[in-house]
Amino acid sequence: MNIAGYKIKLEKKAGFSGLEAAVISIIAVLVALFLVGFIFLQAGVDPAKGYAEIFSYAFLNSFGVPLTLNRAIFLLLCTFAFILPLRAGLWNIGMAGQLYGGALAAFGVAYAFGARTQTEVPAGIVLPLMILAAIAGGGLIGFIPGLLKGKFNTNEIVVTMMLNFIAFWVTAHMIKEGGPFMGSGGEGEGYKLPASLQPGLFLGMPFTIWFALGLAALLQFVFAKTRIGYEIRAFGASPAAARYAGVDPFKISLLVFVAGGAIAGLAGYHYFATVPGLFKIPKNYGDFGDLAFYGIICGLISQGSPLASIPLAILFGGLTSGGRFVQGKLQLGFGIDYAMLGVLMIILVAFQFFFRYKIVFKKEKEA
Amino acid sequence: MGAFTSEKVQHGEIVLEARGITKRYPGLIANDHVDFEIRAGEIHAILGENGAGKTTLMSILFGLVRPDEGEIYVFGKKVNFRSPLDAIELGIGMVHQTRKLVSAHTVLENILLGHPKTGLVLDFKKAAEEVARLCDHYEYKLNLNDKVWHLSEGEKQMVEILKAMYRGARILILDEPTSSLAPPETKKLLETIQIMTRDELAIVPFITHKLPVVLSVSQRVTVLRRGKVVARLNTREATEQLLAREMVGRDVMFDLKRVEVERGKPVLEVQHLSVYDEKGTKAVRDVSFSVHEGEIFGIAGVSGNGQQPLAEALAGLRKAAEGKVLLDGRDITRLPALARWKRGVGYIPSEQRTVGSIGDFSLVENVLMSYFYDDEFCKRGIVDTKKIRARTEALIAEYGIAAPHADMYAKNLSGGNLQKLILARVFSRQPRLIIANLPTQGLDVGATEFVQNKLLEAKKAGAAILLISEDLDEVLALSDRIAPMYEGEFMDVLPGGEAERDIVGGLMAGIKQKAAEQ
Repeated sequence: MNIAGYKIKLEKKAGFSGLEAAVISIIAVLVALFLVGFIFLQAGVDPAKGYAEIFSYAFLNSFGVPLTLNRAIFLLLCTFAFILPLRAGLWNIGMAGQLYGGALAAFGVAYAFGARTQTEVPAGIVLPLMILAAIAGGGLIGFIPGLLKGKFNTNEIVVTMMLNFIAFWVTAHMIKEGGPFMGSGGEGEGYKLPASLQPGLFLGMPFTIWFALGLAALLQFVFAKTRIGYEIRAFGASPAAARYAGVDPFKISLLVFVAGGAIAGLAGYHYFATVPGLFKIPKNYGDFGDLAFYGIICGLISQGSPLASIPLAILFGGLTSGGRFVQGKLQLGFGIDYAMLGVLMIILVAFQFFFRYKIVFKKEKEA
Repeated sequence: MGAFTSEKVQHGEIVLEARGITKRYPGLIANDHVDFEIRAGEIHAILGENGAGKTTLMSILFGLVRPDEGEIYVFGKKVNFRSPLDAIELGIGMVHQTRKLVSAHTVLENILLGHPKTGLVLDFKKAAEEVARLCDHYEYKLNLNDKVWHLSEGEKQMVEILKAMYRGARILILDEPTSSLAPPETKKLLETIQIMTRDELAIVPFITHKLPVVLSVSQRVTVLRRGKVVARLNTREATEQLLAREMVGRDVMFDLKRVEVERGKPVLEVQHLSVYDEKGTKAVRDVSFSVHEGEIFGIAGVSGNGQQPLAEALAGLRKAAEGKVLLDGRDITRLPALARWKRGVGYIPSEQRTVGSIGDFSLVENVLMSYFYDDEFCKRGIVDTKKIRARTEALIAEYGIAAPHADMYAKNLSGGNLQKLILARVFSRQPRLIIANLPTQGLDVGATEFVQNKLLEAKKAGAAILLISEDLDEVLALSDRIAPMYEGEFMDVLPGGEAERDIVGGLMAGIKQKAAEQ
């Protein structure tokens, strides 16, 4: 293509640095926000005002910040559940199902200790058991695609996707009328955890933030420095070469899906058992199910880097909490939070192009 | 519109001329003022190592790439190719190294595919007659109704040549025409193209390392090195030594010194091994042999005769259907790949880029492929980055791998350097058994010499080596014993020193009776 005497060419890049990736991602976010501005305009709202409201609520307001962090933790755990298999070249689309599995297991433990009917349960025993159960429950759901992939090379995308539906309907059965986890209100929600099983907040944040941050550091270390991390990455970069070098595909498939599922199970525990006002399995599962899918976007944009996922998760968490807030405040007739995430996602994915190519301007040679 | 009916050209007339062809890519000049011309009725070989600029030149002549500078004249007229269609129109035909045929279709259908004369309705009968006449004319027997997947590699290549001829090609560019052909097929091909030159066709084979082919059929040869023409010779005046020196830029030893090593105890014993390939056919049938310390056991055969499944079964990457594999007397038939590496099996795969290395990993992480399971380099599951980096740098120096630093991506190494890296990595584990699957395939003369010498060094050090090769000369030069492999079976096991080229070549192509008579 020629413009004003310059020749414009696409050149393939040999690679890109972390800094370059960060700069490209930031530009992408700015472009996406610019585009969403038109949605505001169309709704008759000044975009500058809209954004000011969103960001001040999400990152400065004393009600908004905890909400942002809650969502960010949830998103971060879902991202890790996605990244772990992704680094092995496998796609976990089943975070939603795995988090139901974790939640059901955690509430099952509480149920076994009589938490549905009694208010006094030995929290010192039950709380840790609930967390372990959430990890095991999510891991168990992850075990299925891992096993099938490793043993029969089944398509893991299909299996994890289908398991989402199965886990969804099992959950529905458990909390609906007649189900053992049915809440007292009879509104199709799970029973509410007694106050003794509601963990306190630390500086306004649920303790699960330590799980999320700890996992970020742990995964970063595992991928960069350990033998198993190397095996996972080698398998992800080239299954044939990894197999040749002696990496066991069965072991890797099973490991990443069980571990990924366990982390998603933890996300389920976080969402239903530590967030104030939500100490139960709500009927409105669609919401967090969708949010879990944003773990995929987060993981793809961060290129599988656990540390890079942290700012992304905070941004996404802030945009959803702030978006919901302005929707009410400015009386917008649509879900601005999801509209924003949607546009952001498309732009970020489109900007992946710049990881692979650069545009070169050359002065046209005189013929 | 067959070539032999169209306008006449005088013998020796210049049909294609390139002047000052220059093509630059970022960081390198692929073609640097290349001049050459091709005359009617001559076979003019273009010789050069990988990276010498052959592919670029070929692509320019066929209209796939446009030169930055320079001019091309076809039949005396200056041309400016916009696409291969322009080149085809002017009578240039190209036969690629990788076949571009529809294997489920017949020979005739493939020849007609894409032909400008085939409009909406195909006149198969007329076309069949024309193609059959073309075959007769060049004394090549081919059943036009055979499905292409039935054909041998040589026949497939002939289909491509016929396809180009039927479209009116008068200048034929052949990319590595004899690679992947068994010796008898190579001979047949060379005979056929010699017959073609009688019709004043010009034939331009591009060749990397099969120097005897160049010497036996071409009239002239142009040698490229680093994008420049370094020699232009009449083949009569050339020798293998001379050509190799021009290509590589230094003297190359052709007579590998076969080291005589005392044959030790058996390292690998294979008993009645059968293996299925991914299509579910029995690709290795009841094969038994042993490889001893200090011995190179060569398997000679054209690719696709079961060598690949055999190598994979020995490396633990493919299940053995029947039979046993023993390493140092212990049964390893059911052991996975990792356990075999740990016990001293070293496998050099034929697929350097997809199996032998990980392109998006650094050289350090590629070397780690053979070290991650070693506690010395991975204490308690944590990689000792310093140690593995030091080892990588030592190997880069020892093997003379042309790499600016150890953190570069493996995908950016040239073929020869990548093979050196793989070799360095595997050999540095001092394996008891080395399975070398097509170790010099696609390498240039210099790198081939290096790899072969490394194999001989390993032999001297007492390793047992299983060498799988398509290159008969290589197998004959290196092996202590030779097993020609055909359709999954060993046709014979011959002593290396005395094996006759023709007999082994025949056995590779499945011709048994002659060997039995002698």
